[in-house]
Amino acid sequence: MRAVPEASEFRLVIPSQTRYLNLVTGLAKRAALVSGLDDPTAAKVSIAVDEAVTNVILHAYHGAEDKSVELEIRFTGQALEIHIWHTGHGIRQDQVHLPDPKEYVKHPRKGGLGLLLMSRFMDEVRFEDSEDRSECCMIKKLA
Amino acid sequence: MGDLSIVVREAGPVSVVEPKGFINAHTVRQFECALEEIVQAGRYAILLNCRQLSYISSAGLGAIMGLIETVRERGGDIQLCNLQENVYAIFDTLGFTQLYKVHPEEEAALQAFPAQPPVQS
Repeated sequence: MRAVPEASEFRLVIPSQTRYLNLVTGLAKRAALVSGLDDPTAAKVSIAVDEAVTNVILHAYHGAEDKSVELEIRFTGQALEIHIWHTGHGIRQDQVHLPDPKEYVKHPRKGGLGLLLMSRFMDEVRFEDSEDRSECCMIKKLA
Repeated sequence: MGDLSIVVREAGPVSVVEPKGFINAHTVRQFECALEEIVQAGRYAILLNCRQLSYISSAGLGAIMGLIETVRERGGDIQLCNLQENVYAIFDTLGFTQLYKVHPEEEAALQAFPAQPPVQS
């Protein structure tokens, strides 16, 4: 029997269209389950991926449907890593400002919750913006 | 693609909205339209029965948030019931369980609304 490699990964490229959100979130949930996360945690991973890909489509690409979004899912043995790449308008880590939920409850408004969900449901969320493409990396540790 | 279907029914003064499937950036407009139609009809007591809602992203939360002020200004409310574990986790994580009344079952939720419909303007 062949030994299972310590780290493995696969990639998926989708058009920058919201109709594919259900596809990628379903995939993310299955990947989380395969990595050993329980069902409620896997559901949270899928929501984080929904929010990240939605941000790319609506904000980085401003709704343009002829671009692409690349996802890479890595199983490292210690964590599930999800990398999302795009060539739109990216954000840098220092531009990320999470709303305070307590303030949000006091002064409700529309929008601004996606990043908060990503940060609450994943152990690490990082953004990198380079000349040719931008990345959002989300990590969920196993146990 | 059939990601979301919505049934709206009347239970006395309360409009019960039952979304089935996924509310995300792709389906949120359909959800918004259903809520807006109810409000435009002058009905401000709205119960979201989430028993068949698989998940709701921040786009869907924004749709509820966008109407809550209008509804409450007219004496009504938006309340929720039958939230699945992962849907409750989303509401709770963002503090929405402090903003909206959440009930375990529809029957208890309907009793939480006033017996008389809110004043229409």
